[in-house]
Amino acid sequence: MSKSPSAIIKIRIIAACAIALLGFAVLIGRLFYIQVIEAEEYQRQAAETQLEVTEIAANRGAIYDANGNKLAMSTTAWTICVAPNNIKNDAQKELIISELSEILGVSESYLREKCERDTLYAAVKARVDKATVEEVTTFASNNGVSRCIFVEEDVSRKYPYENFAASVIGFVNSDYVGSYGLESYYDDVLSGTPGKLISAQDSWGQKMPFEYDELYSSEDGNSIVTTIDEGIQYFVEKHLELAVKEHDVQKRAACIAMDPNTGKILAMATKGDFDPNSYTTLPDSVKEEIQKLPEDEQGDATLQAQYDMWRNKAISDPYEPGSVFKIITLSAALDSNTTTLGDHFTCVGHANVADRKISCWKTYGHGDQTLAEAVQNSCNPAFIQIGLNMGISNFRNYFEAFGLTEKTNIDLPGEAASIYHTNMTEMNLASSSFGQTFKVTPIQLITAVCAAVNGGYLYEPYIVQKVISADESIVEEYEPTLVRQVISEQTSETVREILETVVSDGSGRTAAVPGYKIGGKTGTSEKLDQLSSEGEVEAYVSSFLAVAPADDPQIVILLLLDEAQMENPFGSVVAAPVVGAMLGDILPYMGIEPNYTEAELEQMTGKVKDVTGQLVHDAMTVLRLQGYSVTIVGEGTTVVAQSPEAKSVLAPGGTITLYTDESLIPKEIEVPDVAGMSVTEVNNAIIGAGLKLKLIGVSESASNQVAYSQTPAAGEKVMPGTIIEVTFTVASEEGGED
Amino acid sequence: MKAITIDFNSFIPAAVANEPIIEPKHKRGKIDATFLVLVLVLLTVGLVMLFSASHAYAFYNEGNSFYFIERQLFFAVVGTVAMIFAAQINHKFIQKWAVLLYIVALGLLLFADIFMRDQYGFARWIYIGSFSFQPSEVAKFAIIVLFAHLAATNAAKMQSFRYGVLPFGIALGMIALLVILSRHLSGTIIIGALGIAMMWFGGTRFRYFAVLIGMGVAFVALIIIFPQFMAYTGDRVQVWLDPYSYYHEGGFQTIQALIAIGSGGIWGAGLGNSRQKYLYIPEPQNDFIFPVVCEELGFIGASIIVILFALLVARGYMIAMRCPDKFGALLAAGCVTHIGLQVILNIAVVTNTIPNTGISLPFFSYGGTALLMTLGEMGIVLAVSKKSSIQKN
Repeated sequence: MSKSPSAIIKIRIIAACAIALLGFAVLIGRLFYIQVIEAEEYQRQAAETQLEVTEIAANRGAIYDANGNKLAMSTTAWTICVAPNNIKNDAQKELIISELSEILGVSESYLREKCERDTLYAAVKARVDKATVEEVTTFASNNGVSRCIFVEEDVSRKYPYENFAASVIGFVNSDYVGSYGLESYYDDVLSGTPGKLISAQDSWGQKMPFEYDELYSSEDGNSIVTTIDEGIQYFVEKHLELAVKEHDVQKRAACIAMDPNTGKILAMATKGDFDPNSYTTLPDSVKEEIQKLPEDEQGDATLQAQYDMWRNKAISDPYEPGSVFKIITLSAALDSNTTTLGDHFTCVGHANVADRKISCWKTYGHGDQTLAEAVQNSCNPAFIQIGLNMGISNFRNYFEAFGLTEKTNIDLPGEAASIYHTNMTEMNLASSSFGQTFKVTPIQLITAVCAAVNGGYLYEPYIVQKVISADESIVEEYEPTLVRQVISEQTSETVREILETVVSDGSGRTAAVPGYKIGGKTGTSEKLDQLSSEGEVEAYVSSFLAVAPADDPQIVILLLLDEAQMENPFGSVVAAPVVGAMLGDILPYMGIEPNYTEAELEQMTGKVKDVTGQLVHDAMTVLRLQGYSVTIVGEGTTVVAQSPEAKSVLAPGGTITLYTDESLIPKEIEVPDVAGMSVTEVNNAIIGAGLKLKLIGVSESASNQVAYSQTPAAGEKVMPGTIIEVTFTVASEEGGED
Repeated sequence: MKAITIDFNSFIPAAVANEPIIEPKHKRGKIDATFLVLVLVLLTVGLVMLFSASHAYAFYNEGNSFYFIERQLFFAVVGTVAMIFAAQINHKFIQKWAVLLYIVALGLLLFADIFMRDQYGFARWIYIGSFSFQPSEVAKFAIIVLFAHLAATNAAKMQSFRYGVLPFGIALGMIALLVILSRHLSGTIIIGALGIAMMWFGGTRFRYFAVLIGMGVAFVALIIIFPQFMAYTGDRVQVWLDPYSYYHEGGFQTIQALIAIGSGGIWGAGLGNSRQKYLYIPEPQNDFIFPVVCEELGFIGASIIVILFALLVARGYMIAMRCPDKFGALLAAGCVTHIGLQVILNIAVVTNTIPNTGISLPFFSYGGTALLMTLGEMGIVLAVSKKSSIQKN
């Protein structure tokens, strides 16, 4: 046999070689499939397992008032923690202890105790600054101990003015998401974009020893600048809060101040409100009420009470506007030429409409009135007549043109829609003419009235005028939005003139501010959906709307007190004095110069009237009309004392202090008798009584000096802090006691 | 007791009894330079990749990034010397020791099965002091040499069952049984496949392969019927089919390997830039080194390495075909088949083309015995190539 390989072996080796090469080809194909076709999917999976993503919170933007005051701001606090269970060995532990103690300035023994705990997690130092955080993080990632050291980030939102404009600003919830008010509406603008630090980690979670860090820096949120003027808002809130107390307002009160020429909201307040810093805290009185409930109902009741407390009444609660709405009826009637300034109206105390008798608030009637007088008297039969003269279609057209059928589109969340007659009858028209049987929100009403008095231009109300970035450059600026012209300039001027007479001669007299032309309209709306079992009206919304100055409106204020507790809570009695007090503060603040009329000067007699026993706002009204400024001392609602006293002579422009709390009235002090006392004894007696001492005739060399005379004399009554002059002399030896 | 004497000469085939270890110079041809270069290139690339793949694992587990590469380098140097030595010898000299080598392999396997079983029931390694080696590696080579010898000796009778199947079956069966008993599935597969390949080259009739295939099926059936005997085998099939559902049962290794291969993309992350080697792939220096290669060198680099292996195998078979004597041809074909089988099975495993078995990648995977044996076998192919070149001329 030949030893050389047979042909069979060669063929079989070639076959094996072919199979092997086929195998290699299959493997290359398989690699192609995994590495080229499926590469993206595997790269995604790789990123998922290898990459650690650390989110870096973006700083939330601030909320400013129109003057640059911060109404809401964010602060960030960091806490450094160690993860004892993740420390692998003693070397790591010692490294962490020595480095952290140096960076954080804490003792090594303290750190050792933390690192040796058998826990997942132990806080080492709270409230560290950003530079320290960066130092710690750098140390951790450079030394492979990032699994052992955590940085906890705690971002908190601060509202430095507490309750101030709370229902407008809203708050961020525990997840740091804006969930009410501007915080919610502008959440996207304020929140910014969180950053990401992506680093490669091995399967033990440690950073891989090569460059794979990708930082997507966080984009801080923008800040918003509101149209709210801190000063105006302050005055509005101050008086609103007091009014709520004075009249024990049951269903909260709201007030809006608006610039009629732009639609800017200058102030918007709801009372009672809340402190956005602790937005879940209910007032004690409400808490007590809830605790009286069965336990299983308390949770829901608490939630409901919180929602009620957060609710921005000025935009979220439609109400029957009552007589304030007569401004709109008047404007529509004049503009449609269905009523003219010269028309007369007769009121017999009621009007008959479609077999129904509608009473005037003045049951024996207003008699014959001009149009202006009908407005001054807020006469319902006259306005029924005006409405009927206008007709349903005119009324409907103007109602719609004034924007009362749709939301105002104000940049706040939770604006409610109005409720009105879609299929209006004569009866509906009659009641609608004086503002009953339909509901609008306060913001809708004030927006419509602004159009009625500013020359006829309906502007969209807005509360944010600018969005600015973290470096204060302007991102976006909002301009006034003119919706449409509703009435003519001429009509608007007539409306203003008539409204001015309401304050100068009509039901709005208590809102007057000497030196300023104020236009206004009272409102006392009956809550027709809340009648007693006998069909009697039980609850009222007392309101007042003011336009100032009436000849060139710069500010329009609408105030409403929902269910003031009194027999007849007329807007003229309850609401007008409050708005008057607001205007008395706000108009000078706005830099509008007073210009007194003869009649006003006549009222300024120079003799202080007695206001003790009156509600604070009533007292303020009386004194304001006398030309005096008022300082209030105390948290009460009724004036218990005044200084200077009644009948004192005080020039107009002077300030009168009203005390609302007995304990705060400074008591007069009887001057003690100090005759014959030594210097030390006199000092003790006078200072101890709350008086001041002036020594006369005291010689430093003489040792035996006694009081000889005093002014004022002993037994006289003086105000605390009065200076008592005491004259000393050297006592004779005999006279000296021992 | 009377001393038992064994006549070793009785194991040496008479036909080659006088073959010298090194032939006179005029009978020697040149070694095949192409094959040698391919081996050295693969060895170099393998060492570089072993260092890249193992340093992180070595650092975490041994505290020394160079732990694996140091040891592998040592064996690479020793192995290269062994290869160059083997290349010089007269391959027919090896035939002399065919039977004896087989007996030694059997003995080592038996020894391991009896004395080297660890607490998990595995008996894959023999430890002599600090030195350890796998007797199955010796057995693989023994099968190649013995089968080449048998087929060359009985070349004329290979058609018959008595000479073409029976001795092979008995020899392979005994070895395979001992390897199975050491709970070494991958070793058994390689040895079985090698044996069958050698019979194929040797000229066993086509129809008997049907019987062998039947035996293979019976072997698979054995695994299925007695899963407790090799409990992990059945699981491996399930993991292979759906690694994501059996993540904690071993699927994670496959998944992490696929992630490594896939995330390499076309061009790769660059040498040294694998991320998956950072403890995601278990023991990236061993059977799962190739995914790290794929991740770092991409589809392009991985393909080039596969092609280098393919060229090595093709060149090796060419050397075998050109060998003038049957033993030499079979010996070279066997060694080449061994390398080819390991490469194909290893890459098929890491790409989840077949179920996971522990087969290492020649030249790349960490392992002293394996590298030594591989380089030794390459030396034998080179030794055979000397005759091939003479015939060509």
